[in-house]
Amino acid sequence: MKKLSLLIFSLIPLVASASNDVTQLEGSFKVGPAIILIFILSLFILVGLLFRAKDTTDYYAAGRRISRVGSGMAIASNWMSAASFLGMAALMYGTGYHGLSYVVGWTGGYVLLLILMAGQIRRYGKYTAADFIGDRYYSKTLRTIGAVIAILISIAYAVGQFGGIGLMFKWVMGIEYNLAVIIGGSVVLAYTLISGMLGVTKNMQIQYVIIISSFMIPLFLLTYKFDYFWLVPQIGYGSAVQDIVEGIQISEKSGLMNSLGHHFAIVPSPEYAMPWDPSTGQTFFQWMAIAFSLMIGTAGLPHVIQRFYVVPKARDARWSVVWGLFFICLLYWSAPVYSALGTILSANPEVGKLSPDAIVVYTAQLGNINPLIVGLLAAGGVSAAFSTTSGLLVAGSSAFAHDLYVKVINPMARPKTQMKVARIGTLLMAVIITVIAMVDLALIAQLVAIAFSMAGCTIFPLFLLGIWWSGSNRAGAKAGLIVGGTVTLISLTYLVGARAGWTLPYNDFITYYLGAWYFAWIGAPLAIAANIIVSKLTDETPLEIRQFLIEKVHS
Amino acid sequence: MESEDYRISFFKPTTQQAKKNRNLIIKLFIAWAVAIFGFQVLLKIIEKPVPEEALITFSSAWENIESGEATQSDYKAAARSMIQVMGKITIKPGDYAALRDGTGWILSEVYPEDELPDLQQDVQYFNQLKEQITSLRDEDYLETKELIISKAAPALGIGEGTLLAQLLAIGLDDNLQIFSEENREKIPGIMSLYLTHNRSVLTDTIFLGFPFHYFYSAVFLLMFFIGLCWIYCHKTDKLHAKLNFLEKVD
Repeated sequence: MKKLSLLIFSLIPLVASASNDVTQLEGSFKVGPAIILIFILSLFILVGLLFRAKDTTDYYAAGRRISRVGSGMAIASNWMSAASFLGMAALMYGTGYHGLSYVVGWTGGYVLLLILMAGQIRRYGKYTAADFIGDRYYSKTLRTIGAVIAILISIAYAVGQFGGIGLMFKWVMGIEYNLAVIIGGSVVLAYTLISGMLGVTKNMQIQYVIIISSFMIPLFLLTYKFDYFWLVPQIGYGSAVQDIVEGIQISEKSGLMNSLGHHFAIVPSPEYAMPWDPSTGQTFFQWMAIAFSLMIGTAGLPHVIQRFYVVPKARDARWSVVWGLFFICLLYWSAPVYSALGTILSANPEVGKLSPDAIVVYTAQLGNINPLIVGLLAAGGVSAAFSTTSGLLVAGSSAFAHDLYVKVINPMARPKTQMKVARIGTLLMAVIITVIAMVDLALIAQLVAIAFSMAGCTIFPLFLLGIWWSGSNRAGAKAGLIVGGTVTLISLTYLVGARAGWTLPYNDFITYYLGAWYFAWIGAPLAIAANIIVSKLTDETPLEIRQFLIEKVHS
Repeated sequence: MESEDYRISFFKPTTQQAKKNRNLIIKLFIAWAVAIFGFQVLLKIIEKPVPEEALITFSSAWENIESGEATQSDYKAAARSMIQVMGKITIKPGDYAALRDGTGWILSEVYPEDELPDLQQDVQYFNQLKEQITSLRDEDYLETKELIISKAAPALGIGEGTLLAQLLAIGLDDNLQIFSEENREKIPGIMSLYLTHNRSVLTDTIFLGFPFHYFYSAVFLLMFFIGLCWIYCHKTDKLHAKLNFLEKVD
């Protein structure tokens, strides 16, 4: 203890001397934030070690010992990714009201998840999404496909997280983005491998507290500093939004400056708040399609669904959604505050083009917030990406080891071998994710939205019909997957094509109506329709499955 | 039990509990859908494209400029509107470049001809400094910027201590007199794009400081979702208690 105190005291002058380096927006090593980041990451690993998985049950489902509030915090922490922490403000910073479609989509989906699935999934009693699909649709092939889809979704989702980790490591260390992705990715991989699911779950509650605190503290300071109602910044920033719409003259808030010496002023910018403003290039259709796709994607994401297995009973699964949503909303009410204040603070063209994905941190910097608090904010961003990534890696490796290896390749595998395969799966996924993240395809939130649309087109229809209609059978499930998979493939082909500079047939039409961030708006209904039609035309679901649904899931 | 009895469908519940659960889900689902999509549809239906004051001013001034009947105040009014758009957060680089060309050209039209070369030199020097400085607090940079503001802003009827004056100094191009035909043609479209917004009573009503529609989507809907989830859990608990439904712990 003495040694620890000594170490902390010896660090104080170093941290204090680092106070000024953070005022430079980019490009330098920031000692204070780096120390905070290392401290928090060490804390994660320490907690992960204390609660590490002892066997496979612990690894997959955390021993089902988590309370409702704890599970709600874990849901929130698992959910509050780099896309929420960094990406949400980034979207609103760039496209104003359009960005709120993501806020609404990522919260409204929990209502669907709760009323249509949470309790029933818990009662079904399987460990993974592929487990459910394989059992419900009595098909090894579908289990395998389900596992592969779960892995692909986890990869797509995690690419955005690695991007966020890379951005924050780049900001703190002043290094190149690609190197930052490799370093950040290695740390999250090491942590996930060591702690396993139990550690991650316990850790997620701590991570939630760190994430939400680091996100909130600068908000109180910023709103206080720039003369808005600071006691509840989530309401107080309403006046900032209206100020952006009407414009702020230099004389109105004279004396208030950003860290670069610019006045707290902006020309009238109604485009920030007005719906689907022409200058943002976003339309009403896109707003609706994004909100809808994200909502059904939420109810189909393997790593979200998997969280319901870690509560003792279905009632706890239901209430954990309420708590989880509340904890998530705390962050989602707050993200637009950064976007609004960041818009004003960076309004002077001299500030230059800022990376929207780092606008949360830039806002705090431009607002002249204490550098150590800005460092805490960056650490919160890394923590958000960390908590989600570790959950994703576990979901992906579960699918790899449990659904592919044990259920398909080697049913006689011992638990020890199974753990080993899970860890190899984690490693492989991390490598693939790192490589894709280095390509820097789109904004973090947009990359994550791809995973949601994939889940909405594939897993959501299987769960929805699998739970609520015993008539949905194996052939129907396959037909639905083919349709949902085809829509996904078309959309992603056009996304990659656009990035590669190819002009594909009907390019404008497809990229607009099957946009990569929202193709589930049509893909999911088509997949559901295909499932229903083919199920009606083919043999009925076996009696034991129907019996199980009635007696276990719905009684 | 016959195999026929082992069929479940959301729309054809077979037990009292299932029926009540279905009804609850349908009610909550409708409330959810109307709250999210119904509101956005309403917003879309009642919206109207409304120009900003700056666009109205610009349009009449630009018409006179194009027809060759412009007065000095027309030039100044058009330039002020264009500078306002240059300060927009969503401005694209190509559009910004066209506007800076236009603003520079208008300045050259209204500025005393004999003093123009001096101003031009100052602008060129300032733009060079922009590339060289490592800090925006560089004294030479700040002084040159103030010098340009003191010369150019009054010529366009802009107060020196205003945001428009800052935007003007930062935005001027090296050669003030060059204004390509292509950019000239683009400018009315650019102005219209950035200065027209979809507005209605829902966007213009202020609630707790917010434009109402913004408050609704960013704050209220999230509260509403939590409320819907709470109602579902509470009602389900009550239903289970009423039916003596006990859940097993695995």
